[in-house]
Amino acid sequence: MDMYREDVMDHYEHPRNQGELVGDDVVTERDSNASCGDMVQFFLKVEQGKIVDVKWKGIGCAITTAAASKLSEYLVGKKIEDIRKLGEEELVKKAIGFEINLGRSKCLTLPVKVVKSLCRS
Amino acid sequence: MFDPQVVRKDFPILKREINGKPLVYLDSGATSQKPISVLEAERNYYEKHNANVHRGAHTLGDEATQIYQGARNKVAKFVGGGEAEIIFVRNTTEAINLVAYAWGLDNLEKGDVVLTTIMEHHSNLVPWQEVARRTGARVEVVGITKEGQIDQQDYAEKLKLKPKMVAIVQVSNALGTINPVKEMTKAAHRVGALVLIDGAQAVPHMGVDVKKIGCDFYAFSAHKMLGPMGIGVLWGRREILEMMSPFLTGGGMIKEVFTDHSTWADVPEKFEAGTPNVAGAVGLASAIDYLEQLGMEAVREHDKEIVGYSLELLAQLPNIKILGTHDKSTRSGSVSFEYMGVHAHDAATILDSEGVAVRSGHHCTMPLHNHLGVVASIRASFNVYTTKEDIDTLVTALGKIKTIFGK
Repeated sequence: MDMYREDVMDHYEHPRNQGELVGDDVVTERDSNASCGDMVQFFLKVEQGKIVDVKWKGIGCAITTAAASKLSEYLVGKKIEDIRKLGEEELVKKAIGFEINLGRSKCLTLPVKVVKSLCRS
Repeated sequence: MFDPQVVRKDFPILKREINGKPLVYLDSGATSQKPISVLEAERNYYEKHNANVHRGAHTLGDEATQIYQGARNKVAKFVGGGEAEIIFVRNTTEAINLVAYAWGLDNLEKGDVVLTTIMEHHSNLVPWQEVARRTGARVEVVGITKEGQIDQQDYAEKLKLKPKMVAIVQVSNALGTINPVKEMTKAAHRVGALVLIDGAQAVPHMGVDVKKIGCDFYAFSAHKMLGPMGIGVLWGRREILEMMSPFLTGGGMIKEVFTDHSTWADVPEKFEAGTPNVAGAVGLASAIDYLEQLGMEAVREHDKEIVGYSLELLAQLPNIKILGTHDKSTRSGSVSFEYMGVHAHDAATILDSEGVAVRSGHHCTMPLHNHLGVVASIRASFNVYTTKEDIDTLVTALGKIKTIFGK
Protein backbone atom coordinates (compact mmCIF):
# COMPACT_ATOMS: atom_id res chain seq x y z
CA MET A 1 0.00 0.00 0.00
CA ASP A 2 2.63 2.43 -1.15
CA MET A 3 0.11 5.17 -1.88
CA TYR A 4 -0.82 5.32 1.79
CA ARG A 5 2.80 5.75 2.91
CA GLU A 6 3.68 7.77 5.97
CA ASP A 7 4.11 11.27 4.49
CA VAL A 8 0.86 10.95 2.53
CA MET A 9 -1.04 9.93 5.66
CA ASP A 10 0.62 12.78 7.55
CA HIS A 11 -0.57 15.36 5.01
CA TYR A 12 -4.03 13.74 5.07
CA GLU A 13 -4.30 13.83 8.84
CA HIS A 14 -2.70 17.26 9.21
CA PRO A 15 -3.43 19.13 5.99
CA ARG A 16 -1.28 22.26 5.51
CA ASN A 17 -2.57 25.67 4.44
CA GLN A 18 -6.25 24.95 4.82
CA GLY A 19 -8.52 27.97 4.80
CA GLU A 20 -9.53 30.87 2.59
CA LEU A 21 -7.93 34.10 1.37
CA VAL A 22 -9.70 37.32 0.46
CA GLY A 23 -8.51 40.50 -1.22
CA ASP A 24 -8.01 42.14 -4.58
CA ASP A 25 -4.79 40.28 -5.21
CA VAL A 26 -6.36 36.85 -4.49
CA VAL A 27 -7.47 34.57 -7.29
CA THR A 28 -9.62 31.52 -6.59
CA GLU A 29 -11.11 28.58 -8.41
CA ARG A 30 -12.83 25.30 -7.57
CA ASP A 31 -13.46 22.04 -9.34
CA SER A 32 -14.93 18.67 -8.47
CA ASN A 33 -14.71 15.05 -9.53
CA ALA A 34 -18.04 13.88 -10.91
CA SER A 35 -17.40 10.26 -10.01
CA CYS A 36 -17.06 10.81 -6.26
CA GLY A 37 -18.20 14.35 -5.48
CA ASP A 38 -14.78 15.41 -4.19
CA MET A 39 -14.28 19.18 -4.35
CA VAL A 40 -11.19 21.35 -4.08
CA GLN A 41 -10.94 25.15 -4.06
CA PHE A 42 -7.60 26.98 -4.16
CA PHE A 43 -6.90 30.60 -3.21
CA LEU A 44 -3.66 32.14 -4.47
CA LYS A 45 -2.40 35.53 -3.35
CA VAL A 46 -0.29 36.89 -6.17
CA GLU A 47 2.11 39.84 -5.98
CA GLN A 48 4.03 40.87 -9.10
CA GLY A 49 3.58 37.48 -10.73
CA LYS A 50 4.70 35.61 -7.62
CA ILE A 51 2.55 33.40 -5.38
CA VAL A 52 3.03 34.82 -1.88
CA ASP A 53 0.30 32.91 -0.03
CA VAL A 54 -1.79 29.80 -0.66
CA LYS A 55 -4.87 28.44 1.05
CA TRP A 56 -7.23 25.70 -0.02
CA LYS A 57 -10.39 24.01 1.15
CA GLY A 58 -12.35 21.02 0.05
CA ILE A 59 -13.78 17.62 0.73
CA GLY A 60 -12.04 14.55 -0.51
CA CYS A 61 -10.33 11.24 0.02
CA ALA A 62 -6.90 10.83 1.59
CA ILE A 63 -5.23 11.08 -1.80
CA THR A 64 -6.93 14.32 -2.88
CA THR A 65 -6.40 15.86 0.55
CA ALA A 66 -2.71 14.94 0.74
CA ALA A 67 -2.15 16.06 -2.86
CA ALA A 68 -3.78 19.45 -2.22
CA SER A 69 -1.82 19.88 0.99
CA LYS A 70 1.52 19.04 -0.62
CA LEU A 71 0.75 21.20 -3.63
CA SER A 72 -0.12 24.19 -1.42
CA GLU A 73 3.30 23.97 0.28
CA TYR A 74 5.09 23.73 -3.03
CA LEU A 75 3.36 26.74 -4.57
CA VAL A 76 4.38 29.35 -1.99
CA GLY A 77 7.10 31.55 -3.46
CA LYS A 78 6.79 30.20 -7.00
CA LYS A 79 6.23 32.40 -10.05
CA ILE A 80 2.88 31.99 -11.82
CA GLU A 81 4.79 31.90 -15.11
CA ASP A 82 6.87 28.92 -13.95
CA ILE A 83 3.78 26.96 -12.84
CA ARG A 84 2.13 27.74 -16.15
CA LYS A 85 5.07 26.22 -18.00
CA LEU A 86 4.87 22.94 -16.12
CA GLY A 87 2.71 20.17 -17.56
CA GLU A 88 0.17 18.48 -15.31
CA GLU A 89 2.31 15.39 -14.91
CA GLU A 90 5.42 17.44 -14.15
CA LEU A 91 3.57 19.39 -11.51
CA VAL A 92 2.31 16.17 -9.91
CA LYS A 93 5.86 14.82 -9.87
CA LYS A 94 7.49 17.98 -8.50
CA ALA A 95 4.85 19.15 -6.05
CA ILE A 96 3.16 15.98 -4.90
CA GLY A 97 5.75 13.32 -5.56
CA PHE A 98 3.79 10.12 -5.24
CA GLU A 99 2.02 7.86 -7.69
CA ILE A 100 -1.23 5.98 -7.58
CA ASN A 101 -3.05 3.47 -9.71
CA LEU A 102 -4.98 4.52 -12.80
CA GLY A 103 -8.41 4.27 -11.22
CA ARG A 104 -7.49 6.86 -8.61
CA SER A 105 -5.45 9.23 -10.79
CA LYS A 106 -8.30 11.76 -10.80
CA CYS A 107 -7.95 12.05 -7.02
CA LEU A 108 -4.35 13.11 -7.48
CA THR A 109 -4.89 15.48 -10.39
CA LEU A 110 -7.97 17.34 -9.11
CA PRO A 111 -5.98 19.93 -7.11
CA VAL A 112 -3.39 20.16 -9.89
CA LYS A 113 -6.07 20.90 -12.48
CA VAL A 114 -7.50 23.67 -10.30
CA VAL A 115 -4.10 25.31 -9.86
CA LYS A 116 -3.16 24.93 -13.53
CA SER A 117 -6.44 26.55 -14.51
CA LEU A 118 -5.83 29.42 -12.06
CA CYS A 119 -2.38 30.04 -13.47
CA ARG A 120 -3.70 30.09 -17.02
CA SER A 121 -6.25 32.81 -16.37
CA MET B 1 -31.17 -23.99 -3.81
CA PHE B 2 -27.96 -24.28 -5.84
CA ASP B 3 -24.46 -24.27 -4.41
CA PRO B 4 -22.68 -21.02 -5.37
CA GLN B 5 -19.34 -22.82 -4.98
CA VAL B 6 -20.37 -25.06 -7.87
CA VAL B 7 -21.79 -22.13 -9.87
CA ARG B 8 -18.45 -20.30 -9.52
CA LYS B 9 -16.72 -22.95 -11.61
CA ASP B 10 -18.71 -21.78 -14.65
CA PHE B 11 -17.20 -18.26 -14.46
CA PRO B 12 -13.61 -18.27 -15.80
CA ILE B 13 -12.73 -14.78 -14.52
CA LEU B 14 -13.30 -15.83 -10.90
CA LYS B 15 -10.08 -17.86 -11.11
CA ARG B 16 -8.09 -14.63 -11.41
CA GLU B 17 -5.78 -13.28 -8.79
CA ILE B 18 -5.73 -9.56 -7.98
CA ASN B 19 -2.66 -8.15 -6.23
CA GLY B 20 -1.60 -11.70 -5.46
CA LYS B 21 -4.91 -12.56 -3.77
CA PRO B 22 -7.83 -14.57 -5.15
CA LEU B 23 -10.39 -12.23 -6.73
CA VAL B 24 -13.44 -11.59 -4.58
CA TYR B 25 -15.79 -9.90 -7.01
CA LEU B 26 -18.37 -7.82 -5.15
CA ASP B 27 -19.21 -5.36 -7.92
CA SER B 28 -21.90 -7.32 -9.75
CA GLY B 29 -24.31 -4.40 -9.46
CA ALA B 30 -22.03 -2.48 -11.84
CA THR B 31 -21.72 -5.48 -14.13
CA SER B 32 -21.98 -9.20 -13.52
CA GLN B 33 -19.39 -11.72 -14.60
CA LYS B 34 -20.25 -14.08 -17.46
CA PRO B 35 -20.49 -17.88 -17.44
CA ILE B 36 -18.52 -19.83 -20.02
CA SER B 37 -21.78 -20.81 -21.76
CA VAL B 38 -22.53 -17.16 -22.58
CA LEU B 39 -19.01 -16.58 -23.90
CA GLU B 40 -19.25 -19.72 -26.03
CA ALA B 41 -22.68 -18.82 -27.37
CA GLU B 42 -21.37 -15.49 -28.69
CA ARG B 43 -18.28 -17.11 -30.14
CA ASN B 44 -20.35 -19.87 -31.75
CA TYR B 45 -22.58 -17.29 -33.38
CA TYR B 46 -19.63 -15.49 -34.95
CA GLU B 47 -17.87 -18.72 -35.93
CA LYS B 48 -20.86 -20.41 -37.55
CA HIS B 49 -23.79 -18.12 -38.28
CA ASN B 50 -22.67 -14.50 -38.61
CA ALA B 51 -24.51 -12.45 -41.23
CA ASN B 52 -26.67 -9.36 -41.18
CA VAL B 53 -30.31 -9.88 -40.27
CA HIS B 54 -33.48 -9.17 -42.27
CA ARG B 55 -31.47 -8.83 -45.45
CA GLY B 56 -30.53 -10.89 -48.46
CA ALA B 57 -31.75 -14.31 -49.49
CA HIS B 58 -28.86 -16.40 -48.36
CA THR B 59 -28.63 -19.16 -45.82
CA LEU B 60 -26.44 -17.40 -43.28
CA GLY B 61 -28.69 -14.34 -43.40
CA ASP B 62 -31.67 -16.56 -42.64
CA GLU B 63 -29.84 -18.30 -39.81
CA ALA B 64 -28.78 -15.03 -38.23
CA THR B 65 -32.33 -13.69 -38.49
CA GLN B 66 -33.76 -16.82 -36.92
CA ILE B 67 -31.23 -16.75 -34.12
CA TYR B 68 -31.95 -13.07 -33.45
CA GLN B 69 -35.72 -13.64 -33.41
CA GLY B 70 -35.21 -16.72 -31.23
CA ALA B 71 -33.38 -14.56 -28.70
CA ARG B 72 -36.23 -12.05 -28.77
CA ASN B 73 -38.73 -14.82 -28.18
CA LYS B 74 -36.72 -16.10 -25.22
CA VAL B 75 -36.52 -12.64 -23.66
CA ALA B 76 -40.27 -12.15 -24.17
CA LYS B 77 -41.07 -15.39 -22.34
CA PHE B 78 -38.56 -14.59 -19.58
CA VAL B 79 -40.30 -11.34 -18.62
CA GLY B 80 -43.83 -12.28 -19.65
CA GLY B 81 -44.22 -9.94 -22.65
CA GLY B 82 -45.17 -10.46 -26.27
CA GLU B 83 -42.43 -10.98 -28.85
CA ALA B 84 -43.34 -7.79 -30.74
CA GLU B 85 -43.03 -5.87 -27.49
CA ILE B 86 -39.33 -6.63 -26.98
CA ILE B 87 -37.05 -3.93 -28.36
CA PHE B 88 -33.34 -4.59 -28.30
CA VAL B 89 -31.30 -1.55 -27.28
CA ARG B 90 -27.79 -1.06 -25.88
CA ASN B 91 -28.68 -0.93 -22.22
CA THR B 92 -31.21 0.29 -19.64
CA THR B 93 -30.10 3.89 -20.16
CA GLU B 94 -30.86 3.73 -23.87
CA ALA B 95 -34.20 2.03 -23.19
CA ILE B 96 -35.27 4.88 -20.89
CA ASN B 97 -33.99 7.50 -23.32
CA LEU B 98 -36.03 5.82 -26.05
CA VAL B 99 -39.23 6.28 -24.05
CA ALA B 100 -38.29 9.76 -22.81
CA TYR B 101 -37.66 11.06 -26.33
CA ALA B 102 -39.97 8.97 -28.54
CA TRP B 103 -42.93 9.14 -26.16
CA GLY B 104 -42.07 12.26 -24.18
CA LEU B 105 -41.44 14.75 -26.99
CA ASP B 106 -44.82 13.93 -28.59
CA ASN B 107 -46.88 13.62 -25.42
CA LEU B 108 -45.52 16.07 -22.87
CA GLU B 109 -46.32 19.74 -22.95
CA LYS B 110 -45.94 22.82 -20.80
CA GLY B 111 -47.07 22.23 -17.24
CA ASP B 112 -47.16 18.41 -17.51
CA VAL B 113 -45.57 16.42 -14.72
CA VAL B 114 -43.19 13.46 -14.88
CA LEU B 115 -43.01 11.80 -11.47
CA THR B 116 -39.93 9.92 -10.35
CA THR B 117 -38.15 9.23 -7.04
CA ILE B 118 -35.06 10.46 -5.19
CA MET B 119 -33.55 6.94 -5.31
CA GLU B 120 -33.38 6.74 -9.11
CA HIS B 121 -30.18 6.00 -10.97
CA HIS B 122 -29.21 9.05 -13.05
CA SER B 123 -30.44 7.13 -16.10
CA ASN B 124 -34.05 7.36 -14.89
CA LEU B 125 -33.79 11.03 -13.96
CA VAL B 126 -31.56 12.90 -16.41
CA PRO B 127 -33.44 11.85 -19.61
CA TRP B 128 -36.68 13.10 -18.03
CA GLN B 129 -35.03 16.39 -17.02
CA GLU B 130 -33.83 16.83 -20.58
CA VAL B 131 -37.19 16.06 -22.18
CA ALA B 132 -38.93 18.27 -19.61
CA ARG B 133 -36.59 21.11 -20.58
CA ARG B 134 -37.55 20.73 -24.22
CA THR B 135 -41.29 20.38 -23.69
CA GLY B 136 -41.92 22.71 -20.76
CA ALA B 137 -42.96 19.78 -18.56
CA ARG B 138 -41.49 19.43 -15.07
CA VAL B 139 -40.00 16.58 -13.08
CA GLU B 140 -41.29 15.96 -9.56
CA VAL B 141 -39.45 13.69 -7.17
CA VAL B 142 -40.91 11.42 -4.47
CA GLY B 143 -38.89 11.21 -1.26
CA ILE B 144 -37.82 8.20 0.81
CA THR B 145 -38.26 7.14 4.41
CA LYS B 146 -35.46 6.75 6.95
CA GLU B 147 -35.47 3.03 6.15
CA GLY B 148 -34.63 3.79 2.53
CA GLN B 149 -38.04 2.96 1.13
CA ILE B 150 -40.16 5.12 -1.15
CA ASP B 151 -42.31 7.39 1.01
CA GLN B 152 -45.73 6.10 -0.04
CA GLN B 153 -47.52 9.00 1.59
CA ASP B 154 -45.46 11.43 -0.47
CA TYR B 155 -46.12 9.29 -3.55
CA ALA B 156 -49.89 9.43 -3.01
CA GLU B 157 -49.63 13.18 -2.51
CA LYS B 158 -47.58 13.75 -5.68
CA LEU B 159 -49.94 11.57 -7.75
CA LYS B 160 -52.51 14.31 -7.12
CA LEU B 161 -50.45 16.42 -9.54
CA LYS B 162 -51.81 14.03 -12.21
CA PRO B 163 -48.44 13.11 -13.76
CA LYS B 164 -48.42 11.91 -17.35
CA MET B 165 -45.52 9.54 -16.65
CA VAL B 166 -44.36 7.79 -13.49
CA ALA B 167 -40.78 6.45 -13.77
CA ILE B 168 -39.61 4.29 -10.88
CA VAL B 169 -36.86 1.84 -10.12
CA GLN B 170 -37.85 -1.68 -9.06
CA VAL B 171 -34.66 -2.37 -7.09
CA SER B 172 -32.47 0.56 -6.05
CA ASN B 173 -28.86 0.16 -7.20
CA ALA B 174 -27.62 2.14 -4.19
CA LEU B 175 -29.97 1.14 -1.36
CA GLY B 176 -30.99 -2.31 -2.56
CA THR B 177 -34.62 -1.49 -1.73
CA ILE B 178 -37.22 -3.60 -3.52
CA ASN B 179 -40.04 -1.20 -4.34
CA PRO B 180 -43.71 -2.28 -4.46
CA VAL B 181 -43.93 -1.53 -8.18
CA LYS B 182 -47.16 -3.47 -8.73
CA GLU B 183 -49.11 -1.41 -6.19
CA MET B 184 -47.42 1.82 -7.29
CA THR B 185 -48.31 1.09 -10.93
CA LYS B 186 -51.94 0.53 -10.01
CA ALA B 187 -52.06 3.85 -8.16
CA ALA B 188 -50.38 5.67 -11.06
CA HIS B 189 -52.85 4.21 -13.58
CA ARG B 190 -55.72 5.44 -11.43
CA VAL B 191 -54.62 9.02 -12.12
CA GLY B 192 -54.06 8.31 -15.80
CA ALA B 193 -50.25 8.13 -15.84
CA LEU B 194 -48.15 5.71 -17.84
CA VAL B 195 -45.57 3.78 -15.81
CA LEU B 196 -41.98 2.99 -16.70
CA ILE B 197 -40.05 0.61 -14.47
CA ASP B 198 -36.24 0.58 -14.38
CA GLY B 199 -35.58 -3.13 -13.87
CA ALA B 200 -31.79 -3.11 -14.27
CA GLN B 201 -31.14 -4.38 -10.72
CA ALA B 202 -34.30 -6.51 -10.46
CA VAL B 203 -34.13 -8.83 -13.47
CA PRO B 204 -30.79 -10.38 -12.41
CA HIS B 205 -32.08 -11.39 -8.98
CA MET B 206 -35.80 -12.25 -9.12
CA GLY B 207 -38.50 -13.48 -11.44
CA VAL B 208 -40.09 -10.53 -13.27
CA ASP B 209 -43.43 -10.63 -15.06
CA VAL B 210 -44.31 -7.34 -16.71
CA LYS B 211 -47.96 -8.32 -17.08
CA LYS B 212 -48.23 -9.03 -13.35
CA ILE B 213 -46.61 -5.70 -12.52
CA GLY B 214 -49.03 -4.10 -14.97
CA CYS B 215 -46.60 -1.37 -16.08
CA ASP B 216 -46.38 0.16 -19.55
CA PHE B 217 -42.61 0.10 -20.07
CA TYR B 218 -39.90 -2.03 -18.47
CA ALA B 219 -36.17 -1.52 -19.08
CA PHE B 220 -33.17 -3.73 -18.28
CA SER B 221 -29.61 -4.60 -19.35
CA ALA B 222 -28.10 -7.96 -20.25
CA HIS B 223 -24.73 -7.27 -18.70
CA LYS B 224 -26.03 -7.18 -15.12
CA MET B 225 -27.74 -10.57 -15.55
CA LEU B 226 -24.75 -12.68 -16.66
CA GLY B 227 -25.10 -11.57 -20.30
CA PRO B 228 -22.79 -9.48 -22.47
CA MET B 229 -22.34 -5.70 -22.45
CA GLY B 230 -23.90 -3.67 -25.26
CA ILE B 231 -27.35 -5.21 -25.28
CA GLY B 232 -30.40 -4.29 -23.27
CA VAL B 233 -34.14 -4.52 -23.51
CA LEU B 234 -37.10 -2.22 -23.54
CA TRP B 235 -40.38 -3.99 -23.10
CA GLY B 236 -43.34 -1.80 -24.00
CA ARG B 237 -47.07 -2.33 -24.16
CA ARG B 238 -47.78 -3.00 -27.82
CA GLU B 239 -50.60 -0.51 -28.33
CA ILE B 240 -48.44 2.27 -26.87
CA LEU B 241 -45.37 1.31 -28.93
CA GLU B 242 -47.51 1.32 -32.07
CA MET B 243 -48.69 4.87 -31.41
CA MET B 244 -45.20 6.19 -30.70
CA SER B 245 -42.86 7.86 -33.16
CA PRO B 246 -39.50 6.17 -33.71
CA PHE B 247 -36.47 7.11 -31.59
CA LEU B 248 -33.58 6.53 -34.00
CA THR B 249 -34.23 6.38 -37.72
CA GLY B 250 -32.45 4.87 -40.71
CA GLY B 251 -32.04 1.36 -42.03
CA GLY B 252 -33.96 -1.59 -40.70
CA MET B 253 -36.78 0.43 -39.15
CA ILE B 254 -38.60 1.56 -42.31
CA LYS B 255 -41.40 0.19 -44.46
CA GLU B 256 -41.03 2.51 -47.45
CA VAL B 257 -38.64 5.36 -48.11
CA PHE B 258 -39.21 8.19 -50.57
CA THR B 259 -36.99 11.18 -51.07
CA ASP B 260 -39.27 13.41 -49.04
CA HIS B 261 -40.75 11.08 -46.40
CA SER B 262 -40.76 7.52 -45.07
CA THR B 263 -43.09 5.09 -43.37
CA TRP B 264 -42.16 2.91 -40.45
CA ALA B 265 -41.82 -0.83 -40.02
CA ASP B 266 -44.05 -2.58 -37.49
CA VAL B 267 -42.95 -2.93 -33.88
CA PRO B 268 -40.44 -3.90 -32.66
CA GLU B 269 -38.37 -3.18 -35.81
CA LYS B 270 -39.67 0.41 -35.84
CA PHE B 271 -37.42 1.02 -32.83
CA GLU B 272 -34.35 -0.89 -34.01
CA ALA B 273 -32.57 1.33 -36.53
CA GLY B 274 -29.32 0.07 -38.00
CA THR B 275 -27.56 -3.27 -37.74
CA PRO B 276 -28.49 -4.83 -34.41
CA ASN B 277 -26.22 -6.51 -31.89
CA VAL B 278 -27.09 -10.09 -32.85
CA ALA B 279 -24.21 -11.67 -30.94
CA GLY B 280 -25.29 -9.70 -27.89
CA ALA B 281 -28.85 -10.99 -28.24
CA VAL B 282 -27.45 -14.52 -28.49
CA GLY B 283 -25.41 -13.95 -25.34
CA LEU B 284 -28.45 -12.60 -23.53
CA ALA B 285 -30.51 -15.62 -24.56
CA SER B 286 -27.75 -17.88 -23.26
CA ALA B 287 -27.66 -15.94 -19.97
CA ILE B 288 -31.42 -16.48 -19.63
CA ASP B 289 -30.88 -20.21 -20.20
CA TYR B 290 -28.29 -20.19 -17.44
CA LEU B 291 -30.54 -18.33 -14.99
CA GLU B 292 -33.54 -20.52 -15.81
CA GLN B 293 -31.48 -23.61 -15.22
CA LEU B 294 -30.75 -22.33 -11.72
CA GLY B 295 -34.39 -21.22 -11.39
CA MET B 296 -35.32 -17.63 -10.62
CA GLU B 297 -36.85 -18.58 -7.28
CA ALA B 298 -33.58 -20.18 -6.23
CA VAL B 299 -31.68 -17.15 -7.57
CA ARG B 300 -33.74 -14.90 -5.29
CA GLU B 301 -33.31 -17.28 -2.33
CA HIS B 302 -29.55 -17.18 -2.76
CA ASP B 303 -29.63 -13.39 -3.15
CA LYS B 304 -31.63 -13.05 0.06
CA GLU B 305 -29.23 -15.32 1.92
CA ILE B 306 -26.15 -13.36 0.83
CA VAL B 307 -27.81 -9.99 1.48
CA GLY B 308 -28.90 -11.21 4.93
CA TYR B 309 -25.45 -12.58 5.76
CA SER B 310 -23.76 -9.32 4.67
CA LEU B 311 -26.15 -7.19 6.71
CA GLU B 312 -25.59 -9.39 9.75
CA LEU B 313 -21.79 -9.25 9.56
CA LEU B 314 -21.44 -5.60 8.57
CA ALA B 315 -23.87 -4.46 11.28
CA GLN B 316 -21.46 -5.86 13.88
CA LEU B 317 -18.52 -3.74 12.72
CA PRO B 318 -18.10 -0.56 14.76
CA ASN B 319 -17.12 1.86 11.97
CA ILE B 320 -19.68 0.73 9.41
CA LYS B 321 -22.94 2.52 8.75
CA ILE B 322 -25.25 0.60 6.44
CA LEU B 323 -27.39 2.61 4.01
CA GLY B 324 -30.98 1.51 3.55
CA THR B 325 -33.06 -1.21 5.10
CA HIS B 326 -31.70 -4.05 7.26
CA ASP B 327 -34.63 -6.23 6.20
CA LYS B 328 -33.41 -8.77 3.64
CA SER B 329 -36.97 -9.54 2.51
CA THR B 330 -37.26 -6.04 1.00
CA ARG B 331 -33.66 -5.75 -0.11
CA SER B 332 -31.86 -7.28 -3.06
CA GLY B 333 -28.53 -7.45 -4.80
CA SER B 334 -26.31 -5.23 -2.70
CA VAL B 335 -25.36 -3.67 0.60
CA SER B 336 -23.99 -0.12 0.54
CA PHE B 337 -22.28 1.35 3.55
CA GLU B 338 -20.06 4.10 4.85
CA TYR B 339 -16.80 3.45 6.66
CA MET B 340 -16.98 6.30 9.13
CA GLY B 341 -14.03 8.69 8.88
CA VAL B 342 -12.54 7.10 5.78
CA HIS B 343 -13.41 8.16 2.25
CA ALA B 344 -15.06 5.43 0.18
CA HIS B 345 -12.35 5.61 -2.49
CA ASP B 346 -9.60 5.09 0.06
CA ALA B 347 -11.50 2.16 1.55
CA ALA B 348 -12.08 0.62 -1.88
CA THR B 349 -8.39 0.96 -2.80
CA ILE B 350 -7.37 -0.85 0.37
CA LEU B 351 -9.99 -3.57 -0.24
CA ASP B 352 -8.61 -3.96 -3.78
CA SER B 353 -5.15 -4.57 -2.35
CA GLU B 354 -6.73 -7.62 -0.68
CA GLY B 355 -8.32 -8.76 -3.96
CA VAL B 356 -11.78 -7.49 -3.04
CA ALA B 357 -13.55 -5.52 -5.81
CA VAL B 358 -16.29 -3.15 -4.61
CA ARG B 359 -17.84 0.00 -6.01
CA SER B 360 -17.08 3.31 -4.35
CA GLY B 361 -18.62 6.70 -5.04
CA HIS B 362 -22.20 7.79 -5.48
CA HIS B 363 -23.15 4.86 -7.77
CA CYS B 364 -24.83 7.23 -10.26
CA THR B 365 -27.26 8.38 -7.58
CA MET B 366 -26.02 11.87 -6.69
CA PRO B 367 -29.43 13.24 -5.62
CA LEU B 368 -29.87 10.25 -3.29
CA HIS B 369 -26.40 10.68 -1.76
CA ASN B 370 -27.03 14.41 -1.29
CA HIS B 371 -30.35 13.60 0.36
CA LEU B 372 -28.63 11.12 2.69
CA GLY B 373 -25.81 13.59 3.37
CA VAL B 374 -23.25 11.05 2.21
CA VAL B 375 -20.42 12.17 -0.09
CA ALA B 376 -19.56 8.69 -1.27
CA SER B 377 -20.32 5.16 -0.13
CA ILE B 378 -18.96 1.66 -0.59
CA ARG B 379 -21.19 -0.90 -2.28
CA ALA B 380 -20.77 -4.66 -2.13
CA SER B 381 -23.04 -6.21 -4.74
CA PHE B 382 -23.74 -9.81 -5.54
CA ASN B 383 -24.78 -12.37 -8.08
CA VAL B 384 -25.32 -16.12 -8.26
CA TYR B 385 -21.61 -16.89 -7.83
CA THR B 386 -21.26 -14.88 -4.60
CA THR B 387 -20.46 -17.04 -1.57
CA LYS B 388 -20.59 -16.41 2.15
CA GLU B 389 -16.82 -16.85 2.08
CA ASP B 390 -16.64 -13.80 -0.21
CA ILE B 391 -18.42 -11.80 2.48
CA ASP B 392 -16.07 -13.18 5.15
CA THR B 393 -13.11 -12.00 3.05
CA LEU B 394 -14.70 -8.56 2.68
CA VAL B 395 -15.03 -8.28 6.46
CA THR B 396 -11.42 -9.36 7.00
CA ALA B 397 -10.23 -6.91 4.34
CA LEU B 398 -12.19 -4.09 5.99
CA GLY B 399 -10.02 -4.76 9.05
CA LYS B 400 -6.97 -3.64 7.05
CA ILE B 401 -8.44 -0.13 6.76
CA LYS B 402 -8.04 0.23 10.51
CA THR B 403 -4.37 -0.67 10.38
CA ILE B 404 -3.73 2.06 7.79
CA PHE B 405 -6.12 4.79 8.89
CA GLY B 406 -6.14 3.98 12.59
CA LYS B 407 -9.95 4.22 12.58
